[in-house]
Amino acid sequence: MEKRLNKKDFDNFITSLRGKGYKTIAPKKDNNLIVLDEVQGGGEISLDHVITNNSIKEFFFPKTEKVLSYRMEKNNVQIEEPEDFAVKSVIFGSRPCDAFSLPVMDKVFNWDCSDKFWVQRREAVTIVTIACDKCDTYCFCTSVGLAPDAKGGSDVLFTKISGDDYVVETVTEKGESLIKEFEGVFSDPLSEASDRQVATVEKKFEIEKVKSWLDENFVHTVWTDFSLKCIGCGACTFVCPTCHCFDIVDECTMTKGDRVKNWDGCQFKMFTMHTSGHNPRSTQGERWRQRIMHKFKYYVEKFDSILCVGCGRCSRVCPADMNISEMLEIIATEASQPGNKE
Amino acid sequence: MIEALRKKAEELLRSNTVNVVFGYGEGSTPERTRPVFITKPEDVNKLTWNQYCVYNLTTYLKRQETRKLGKPAIIVKGCDAKTVIVLIKESQIKREDVYILGVTCQGVGEPLAVKCKACDVHTPRIYDDLVGEKVENKELSFDERYAELDEYEKMSEKGKWEFWQKQFEKCIKCYACSNICPLCFCDRCIVEKNQPQWIDPSAHARGNLSWNVTRAYHLAGRCINCEECQRVCPADIPLNLLNKKLAKEAEKNFNYRPGYNIDDELAMSTYNAKDNQDFVK
Ligand code: SF4
Ligand code: SF4
Ligand code: SF4
Ligand code: SF4
Ligand code: SF4
Repeated sequence: MEKRLNKKDFDNFITSLRGKGYKTIAPKKDNNLIVLDEVQGGGEISLDHVITNNSIKEFFFPKTEKVLSYRMEKNNVQIEEPEDFAVKSVIFGSRPCDAFSLPVMDKVFNWDCSDKFWVQRREAVTIVTIACDKCDTYCFCTSVGLAPDAKGGSDVLFTKISGDDYVVETVTEKGESLIKEFEGVFSDPLSEASDRQVATVEKKFEIEKVKSWLDENFVHTVWTDFSLKCIGCGACTFVCPTCHCFDIVDECTMTKGDRVKNWDGCQFKMFTMHTSGHNPRSTQGERWRQRIMHKFKYYVEKFDSILCVGCGRCSRVCPADMNISEMLEIIATEASQPGNKE
Repeated sequence: MIEALRKKAEELLRSNTVNVVFGYGEGSTPERTRPVFITKPEDVNKLTWNQYCVYNLTTYLKRQETRKLGKPAIIVKGCDAKTVIVLIKESQIKREDVYILGVTCQGVGEPLAVKCKACDVHTPRIYDDLVGEKVENKELSFDERYAELDEYEKMSEKGKWEFWQKQFEKCIKCYACSNICPLCFCDRCIVEKNQPQWIDPSAHARGNLSWNVTRAYHLAGRCINCEECQRVCPADIPLNLLNKKLAKEAEKNFNYRPGYNIDDELAMSTYNAKDNQDFVK
């Protein structure tokens, strides 16, 4: 289905959604940041940015969440599981790269066990994406097989045309029924085709070359050299829409407690520390290699997807200006030079 | 100035005075630089200097990967140089193990960093060699140095509490603030200890409050105000307000400014019978 909506009617759309009990999440300004967060009306929505600082993942996999509570009395353990964590919502104005991270992550969260928190929220949330009309030097979606107007992972896609009008295309049945539910808000599509305002994202490297190079170069000086400036924080992994490692901790007293699931990341030195004190990834070079290998080799082998959508957040946020697309360019270039194996 | 810096770096490497130069190189965008580690004299043209050289490179004095490169010459601005003094005083490095390549500085950041507005170390107070035209360091009064806190201090107790609760809510526990800090050098940070679990690792209200307060307190009387923690925070939390407030209290109580004079005794780890609190006696 194709429809049309003018920017001035975004507020009508949000208000109508809220009227029907949907929680509405959209990009809005928060001091120096643009964050995906709950909005009450269309007026709060920011449209003038490349990408939000936070990624979409926190609405499915929050930075911290209680997975169960327990209470112990003598030999009796009572367990209470959280309910109502999946809230009927619409995420409006996420970017195509963020939207695509969801089907990529579905694979791991439905793998050897199905993560009910992820799965139920995926069902409860509808994704209405706005195609990018601008980009910056950190964006590289086109190098990992996506595009600034890619539809994968979205239920509905908005694309800007002239005069603050947006073409509204439904992508999935879920999206179709959402637009039908609010049909009154939308106008009919223009009869003539109109120019779509979509960013041009330069392709930076040949992704095909990366995997085969990684297959051969677990040991290579580039890992150490490139990561010398890395300070081993978790910023890159936490802002990344496709990084999904977590840690389970108990916050408890002798008789009761909460079991909590928290974001964790491979760039921390404690991530792989054994109880014995031995650390199989004892240097930052090894930890950085893990990040690249996981995204562009292991995940591809296991799930047939690249674990990166080219959003560039990790590079924007990195305190030491470690730039992931630059790393991939180096790898692709290395791969093009035969005989340059270590 | 860039040429002078490169020439000096080349000399130091050629003469084997140092094994590596920690400096600034071009970054991902023209508005960004990045740390570079020059080990070969022929690579010195990778060094640059401009208003985007915000990093306090002394953080690489604590990292095992960069320590392995051998004796460093480290390019420091006046503020960064204060870190070297604290690191020497706290027995983290020996004076002779680092070659301090000071640069004179008129301020960094776009817009100008807050620290630079109240800078009294445009010319570093310690160096082995100085590059750049010497700038007269201006004397600033106590009030001028802490002017950044004026607005904050007007808030009520309750207002401050609410302000910080709102700020800390945003924390994602990435620990970039402590990993970047040159003075957060514990091999195992208290957040990484779980027997007992001093600080909840979860990024919820309690966990974030205990983390952020502990980090700031551990820097009280030590923080040299490089603003690196605030710069790197992906959640845009004004960490510097906390640091600055504690620095002000430390100075008021102990008449001590971290990193200004290498002969000063440390505020937090010096026994002094004249301490204004009785319990030390
Ligand atoms: S790459 Fe950057 S963001 Fe990631 S751990 Fe290293 S310093 Fe932190
Ligand atoms: S690795 Fe970086 S560019 Fe790729 S999805 Fe994660 S944050 Fe985005
Ligand atoms: S505080 Fe002073 S020395 Fe440090 S960057 Fe600013 S102007 Fe330069
Ligand atoms: S606490 Fe922040 S401002 Fe102070 S020394 Fe550490 S990084 Fe610099
Ligand atoms: S850098 Fe910011 S978000 Fe990260 S742990 Fe520190 S205060 Fe929290």
